[in-house]
Amino acid sequence: MLQRLSYDLRVIWACAKKDIKSALIERTFTIMSVFLPVNFLILMSLFVLGGGQAPTAVVMQDTGPYAQQFYMAMSHAHSFRLQQATAAEANDLIQAGRIVAVVTIPTDFDLRIRQNQPVQVDVQVNNLNTDFTNDIRRAVPLSITSFYARAFPNVVTVVPREHDFYSQDTDYLPYLSVSIMVVAFMLGALLPAGTGAAREWEKETMKELLLSPASRWAMLAGKMLGAFLMSLASVTLVLVVLIVVVGIWPVHWGEMIGFSLLTLAIFIALGTLLGTLLKQRQPVTALALGTSIPLFFLSGAFGPISFTTPVVQFLAQLFPVYYAIVLQQHAFHNFTLNTLGTGVNVLILCGYALAVIVLATIALRRSTMAH
Amino acid sequence: MTKDNVHVQVGNSIGEISDASARSEQTADTSVPAIEMVDLCKSFGKFQAVDHLSLTVQQGEIFGLLGPNGSGKTTTINMVSGLSVPTSGKVRVMGYEIPHDARRVRQILGSVPQETALYEELSAWANLDFHAELFGIPRKEKKERITKILELVQLLDRKDSRVGTFSGGMKRRLALGRALLHGPQLIYLDEPTLGVDVQSRRAIWDYILSLRDQGRTVLITTNYLEEAQALCERIAIIDHGKLIAVDTPDHLKQTYGGSVIELETATPSASLDAIGALEGVKQVKQDGTYLTITTQGITNVVPQIINIISQEGEIRNISVREPNLDEVFLRLTGTALRD
Repeated sequence: MLQRLSYDLRVIWACAKKDIKSALIERTFTIMSVFLPVNFLILMSLFVLGGGQAPTAVVMQDTGPYAQQFYMAMSHAHSFRLQQATAAEANDLIQAGRIVAVVTIPTDFDLRIRQNQPVQVDVQVNNLNTDFTNDIRRAVPLSITSFYARAFPNVVTVVPREHDFYSQDTDYLPYLSVSIMVVAFMLGALLPAGTGAAREWEKETMKELLLSPASRWAMLAGKMLGAFLMSLASVTLVLVVLIVVVGIWPVHWGEMIGFSLLTLAIFIALGTLLGTLLKQRQPVTALALGTSIPLFFLSGAFGPISFTTPVVQFLAQLFPVYYAIVLQQHAFHNFTLNTLGTGVNVLILCGYALAVIVLATIALRRSTMAH
Repeated sequence: MTKDNVHVQVGNSIGEISDASARSEQTADTSVPAIEMVDLCKSFGKFQAVDHLSLTVQQGEIFGLLGPNGSGKTTTINMVSGLSVPTSGKVRVMGYEIPHDARRVRQILGSVPQETALYEELSAWANLDFHAELFGIPRKEKKERITKILELVQLLDRKDSRVGTFSGGMKRRLALGRALLHGPQLIYLDEPTLGVDVQSRRAIWDYILSLRDQGRTVLITTNYLEEAQALCERIAIIDHGKLIAVDTPDHLKQTYGGSVIELETATPSASLDAIGALEGVKQVKQDGTYLTITTQGITNVVPQIINIISQEGEIRNISVREPNLDEVFLRLTGTALRD
């Protein structure tokens, strides 16, 4: 019994070592496995950073205190990326398509406010993009209300009294980055595991394994261990970028590490299953890349999935990415994104991991070199 | 080239290595056949790849499995090694039943697949080291055994080179060495010299013949009839998954081949009917003073033919061409082997 176990452990370690060696020598797939997840993180972050706020020029024809207060109200609206410009400069910018809107504060702004007369703030919108146009349409009136609330607190009598669930707001980028991180983990695990398994079939070296007396579960465990160790490289890179470069620190370090390992386990098993079934590295890579983006959008990347439609919620809950995002948002931001609780979410992920490992073992057991 | 004139030079090395492989050797019982197939069938949907095949390979013999492409050779071998499960029938290897004891069979089986299944990105040493781990070769013995095997296949000086840089012949030699590393009792070689140069082929033949001298059983599939003739003590010809014939190469030739006797006489012979009536003569053709006589198998009709012709006049020239396996194969399967 002990001898058997010792032999199985030797096989596991030999398979892991061999896969790592092979991957390090065949650099194309290794580079892909390590850098694609990081690339994914960077690209998505750029997408978010670039698209968050509407570039807007403000023509300050009046520079009085009320005009200054109005400008401040706009800058606190979290919807504009403001720049001051002359009327001519602003016109050039909007004509060139460099800005979404031009807000002109008229010369008599302060005077008319002081005299309680209506003021017209001219807003010129490049309505090419509905998203940005709606942002401007919502944010300008909000800025006016905000300006009045600050300048004339006695005039504005209805004010919100906010009760926050969390001690601080979470910006779009920190929230999204955690979701991106989970998808990057998925890629970082799927690619080395999938290509590692498919390589044996593609290069016809599977016979060496299948003709040995080693148990198939030990081979599978070895291949998964090899992929796991390789995926740690990409995971570490992603975490370094996220924590050191983007500056998002986890609230619960232990949870973050544990959930990351669990996520890796699921996708390494899934990658091994895909590699065993598809037997070619290119389809495995295409499938991994092809599924990561829809799963990213489906699984509550931009906000809690419970805020979306029931159909999307139902679909999202079919995939482990959703539960992994829920858990990592808890680890990083202490968020509770569903009513299942951390324990149940972990159990669901463990269930996924177990199911995929069993399926991968069955797939390998049923694999033959039959002609 | 016949099996008698192959120079065996590697026997001792293999012997030393095999002695160390106690686990692999412990099941040796010379009374049981090395391979026993009984009414073996394998079908893929409606396609019958192996059709009621019954065959026995004795321990210590070099046995050849011949058949045209798609005849069921590889499927048969896959069932013997446990890679494929028979649809019906039984396979036993050294007394172990497949698929029930497939793992034990793999322990005593050394395989050299046609595609070699070597990790080309790894070095020769790394390939053997991985194989040693898969077969549980004791750590203490591993280094020594790998060194000896690399010496045996003359690749020790290239132990750190990537297999991808090796020639076809070197890869075959390494694959053969790998198959021997765990000291198997039964070695299976699928097209062992396919795509290798003449020099490497000769070396591989030497290794294979030395295995027989070590008392190991060797099962070969080959498309080269010359190879089967040189190496195999017995040959089975299969076609469409069925066993067509099984015997020694000489006996197969005697039974299914035909010697060709060519004579040149001073004048055209008038004794064609007399020659045709001789026992064992299959066909007689005359073209002027040239006479071509085909016999059934190897018979003793040559003296009788010479006797008849010499009564008519002078015999200027005579040659007897031995039957070959190509003719046997063609006759039995209706196709040349490489079709």
